[in-house]
Amino acid sequence: MSTILDLHSHSEASEDSRAPVEAYLNWIKLRRQERPLDGIVLTEHRQFNRHADYRALEDKYGMLVLRASEIETDYGHMLVFGVNDDITRRFDFADVRLPAQQVIDEVAAMGGLVVPCHPGRSNVGLCEHYEKRPALDNVVAVEILNGGSRKGENERSAALVAKFGYRATGGSDSHMVSLIGVCATRFEAEVGTIEELVHELKTGEYEAVDFRPRPSPIPRAIPVEAK
Amino acid sequence: MAVEYDPAIIGKVFDVTDPVPVTAVAVRDYCEALGETNPLFTDEQAARKGPHGRLCAPPSFAVTFRNGRHFYQHVPRFGRSGFDAGKDVEFIHPIFIGDQITLSSHVKEIYEKTGRSGSMVFVVIRSTLGNQLGETIAHIDHRFMHR
Repeated sequence: MSTILDLHSHSEASEDSRAPVEAYLNWIKLRRQERPLDGIVLTEHRQFNRHADYRALEDKYGMLVLRASEIETDYGHMLVFGVNDDITRRFDFADVRLPAQQVIDEVAAMGGLVVPCHPGRSNVGLCEHYEKRPALDNVVAVEILNGGSRKGENERSAALVAKFGYRATGGSDSHMVSLIGVCATRFEAEVGTIEELVHELKTGEYEAVDFRPRPSPIPRAIPVEAK
Repeated sequence: MAVEYDPAIIGKVFDVTDPVPVTAVAVRDYCEALGETNPLFTDEQAARKGPHGRLCAPPSFAVTFRNGRHFYQHVPRFGRSGFDAGKDVEFIHPIFIGDQITLSSHVKEIYEKTGRSGSMVFVVIRSTLGNQLGETIAHIDHRFMHR
């Protein structure tokens, strides 16, 4: 049984989002045909929302709600999955200049996983930093599909994945309700907990999936013969 | 650009306005300007039968009150330029005709983030609206971006 999760989303716990978690779940429920998600991962900016409890919402909507973080490093923005007390004690997530290599290595040692997100984005993506400095070691996966990308950014991410052989995830990077689930990650295995998610990201089979609506083709003009 | 500031400024009230009376005329004009037709705000008889038993203002009336003249002088600045990055309003208590509203403001938060265009520093100023009974009416968080 496969599992489809949006691995990158922001709720109102992030300072630049006004999206309530319940509204996300309700939106997905109403659009299951277009976005067949099993759950979402909340990756709040520069923090880990440790005390949030979404179990009642999970039961109400039959969807998984996991918690992670989006941090800012000297190699751009990165998602941290499997955040625990050891990790939050070691790193100040509010620091916007966290040392990427150290975070990747130490988070892995403490049971989590760091996934650089929107690598094709200027200034805060891995690609631009790789042009100036050596590539990072021990990167397992990067976000190849980001729902908030501008033209060309996901293509740059794809080129990076091809060049370095990274594994690839997808996430909406949603800050508003209607964008939740437009990009996601399909896992071959069943994922029900954050520990299972970290395990699958490290060793399982998965791929980025794109549920963004396609623009309808413009009908060809039919020449009208002059009477 | 590393953000450096005196942490003592966080939470310190720097601006308190004189009380401003809420009049029926001001509320009526506000409703007319916005196309608000709910009689609870303008019709005394309807308001008496309503949830508060008297005329009140629409919640968004809270944003019509102005900060003090020197408000902007107290907003900490970082970098060379900036802009208004939006407002969040939390409505807590109704505003009634005859209320005397006061605004007090303090620096709520200063934080950094990075984006496509580089590093940014955000300053959040919280203005709290209170009435003559000491009740909190609303919180308005003004967000300013600097870089």
